[in-house]
Amino acid sequence: MNPLESLRLAWRSIRGHKLRSALTTLGIVIGIAAVIAFVTLGASLQAGIIGDISPDDQRNVYGWAAEPDTEGGPLAGAQPVFTGDDLEAVEDLEAVEAAYGYATIQTQAISNGEETVAQGNGLIASGPSYIREERLAEGRQFRQGESEAVLNPAAANQFEENVTVGDELTVTILGGERRTVEVVGITDTSEGQSPFEGFESSPRVYVPTDPYYTEQASGLGTGGGDDGGDNESAGESGEARFLAIIVEAPSDDAADIDAARESATDYLESDQSDASEFLGDDLAVRFQTSTELLQQLQDVLDLLRNFIVGIAAISLLVGSIGIANIMLVSVTERTREIGIMKAVGAQNRDVLGLFLTEAVILGVIGAILGTALGLVGGYVGAEYVDLPLVYPLEYVALAVVVGILVGVLAGLYPAWRAARTDPIDALRYE
Amino acid sequence: MATAETAVSLSDVRKTYRIGEPVHALDGVSLEVPQGSYTAIMGPSGSGKSTLMNLVGCLDTPTEGEVVVGGRAVDALDDRERTRLRGTEVGFVFQTFNLMPRLNAVENVALPQLFQGIGRTERRERARDLLERVGLADRGDHLPNELSGGQRQRVALARALVNDPAIVLADEPSGNLDTDTEAEILDLFDEFHDAGTTMIVVTHERHVAERADRIVHLLDGRIERIEELDGGAAEPASRTGSSGRSEGDSE
Ligand SMILES: Nc1ncnc2c1ncn2[C@@H]1O[C@H](COP(=O)(O)OP(=O)(O)OP(=O)(O)O)[C@@H](O)[C@H]1O
Ligand SMILES: [Mg+2]
Repeated sequence: MNPLESLRLAWRSIRGHKLRSALTTLGIVIGIAAVIAFVTLGASLQAGIIGDISPDDQRNVYGWAAEPDTEGGPLAGAQPVFTGDDLEAVEDLEAVEAAYGYATIQTQAISNGEETVAQGNGLIASGPSYIREERLAEGRQFRQGESEAVLNPAAANQFEENVTVGDELTVTILGGERRTVEVVGITDTSEGQSPFEGFESSPRVYVPTDPYYTEQASGLGTGGGDDGGDNESAGESGEARFLAIIVEAPSDDAADIDAARESATDYLESDQSDASEFLGDDLAVRFQTSTELLQQLQDVLDLLRNFIVGIAAISLLVGSIGIANIMLVSVTERTREIGIMKAVGAQNRDVLGLFLTEAVILGVIGAILGTALGLVGGYVGAEYVDLPLVYPLEYVALAVVVGILVGVLAGLYPAWRAARTDPIDALRYE
Repeated sequence: MATAETAVSLSDVRKTYRIGEPVHALDGVSLEVPQGSYTAIMGPSGSGKSTLMNLVGCLDTPTEGEVVVGGRAVDALDDRERTRLRGTEVGFVFQTFNLMPRLNAVENVALPQLFQGIGRTERRERARDLLERVGLADRGDHLPNELSGGQRQRVALARALVNDPAIVLADEPSGNLDTDTEAEILDLFDEFHDAGTTMIVVTHERHVAERADRIVHLLDGRIERIEELDGGAAEPASRTGSSGRSEGDSE
């Protein structure tokens, strides 16, 4: 019997039991829908957090001091330990091209002339080369020690009249202090420049650590508890300490990066550095490339996804047991029909094919409905949490394959039972 | 024993069911059914008629002895070949019709051809032809439960004929039909017989059996006697183990 005929006959018997078939596929629908929805959400989450960026800051290593066994992403458990002297000393190391601190300065608002926009985490203080030349759409990098700023497009376009190079902005720091900055450059992307910032698009203003962070920390205090506590325990009030340090290697060659990382770590952990006062046994400096940092985040997301797919797989298992169960009932119920077919010349493989086809149809229908439901679920979820929607298309293909597979596995035993039914017994069956 | 002219040949066939006390459903039956003949099988309930039909119809295999259908020894065949034989060589008409409840008349008639790999259009044409022949041209699209008993039996008949079998087996084909419908069915049998098909019909009723060339009387799994009709001479029932006394009381 050709497969098309099996399909036709199998489809008829499925349609003959509409409600039962619908309930049978429900298990598969839910299983597949759960996988698709969560994988969609996972992929969207990943796109939201990491984006599809390939790190081009590959010469940089990002360092902070934390307790050695702290888990988590960039800056997890970081303590402010690095002084300006440390930064200079690290920059003077042979293996290091440049070193500068990294800090965020909390702000209240930014004004462009008359117009003021609220901005909570507006200023990112770092060294000039933090904004790489090739990332600038307009203008130049800011200079250390000057009241200059580089804006990203999202920050520049948030005013009614777009900010351009040469404009002056007034920044209101969290404490209420106002400062004037001159815009010297605009970047080409609104995504983050390093893993310290996160990679999502948002308005950002980049400024030099000097004067913004150094004065901030030594003078008024940023209002952040960290800095206050730090300054007291440091016992030398007035000197700003950085949470984070960025070290630039001469090239993105792995050996150069490792050399820069090692010599910077060695220096900072040696007695010569100011940072060593705090490091002791409690804290250790760790330097990581953005690729390594992204990888950590990726690992967490992967773990989450595997967990959810695991749960969904259990639901699929339950679904396939449902199919197997219904198929067994169906085989028993149709014993007489099987007997008739065999009596008029149906071979074992014809009967096997018929029941297997039926199970596969149920599996595939379940998979298709489940995929559709999952995609809708993923869409609603991504919309609700406000993530960029990313459909993991390879999973959609996989879902259909899984549906077929589940159908085959669940149908195999019942179909085999049907095939080896003895025609005489079957015809005698009431 | 199986010559070219022999459609079915049984030699010392035994069928024993062992459920507690062994039941000898057939207890040493030998029988030759010539090609193109019309044989009726009679006997009391439980005498082994259906068992015999199942053996000839390649649905079952004997415990002992040999069944040859269309020149082939049935128990020497594997399941696949036996199924093939039953699909092509014999057409079985069951007492209980045994139609597929969810298939309409045309599809039921065409079912055996489906398993022979014959195309859909050809199957439908053939099925409609046969339905016309049994007088059901206008009932092709009806489901079995939308048909009367006689109509169902005619559908079953059409199905038995669809693969042009050399032998048609009918196990009490008119068991629950009224006289008129019964007569129609039996007329159809006569037609097939005249067209050269070997007919074997099980019946409880004398007037049904009398349409045949000869009547085989079964009793307790043995051939009691064989009655030749139309003036044919009675022949000795069988050899070993049979209680066959030929009585030849043809009317
Ligand atoms: N599957 C079986 N298991 C056990 N015994 C069986 C089986 N099939 C038939 N028999 C026994 O074999 C004997 C012959 O049965 P069979 O069905 O051939 O009788 P029959 O002549 O067709 O009777 P009826 O006229 O009532 O249809 C009976 O005694 C029956 O009980
Ligand atoms: Mg019987």
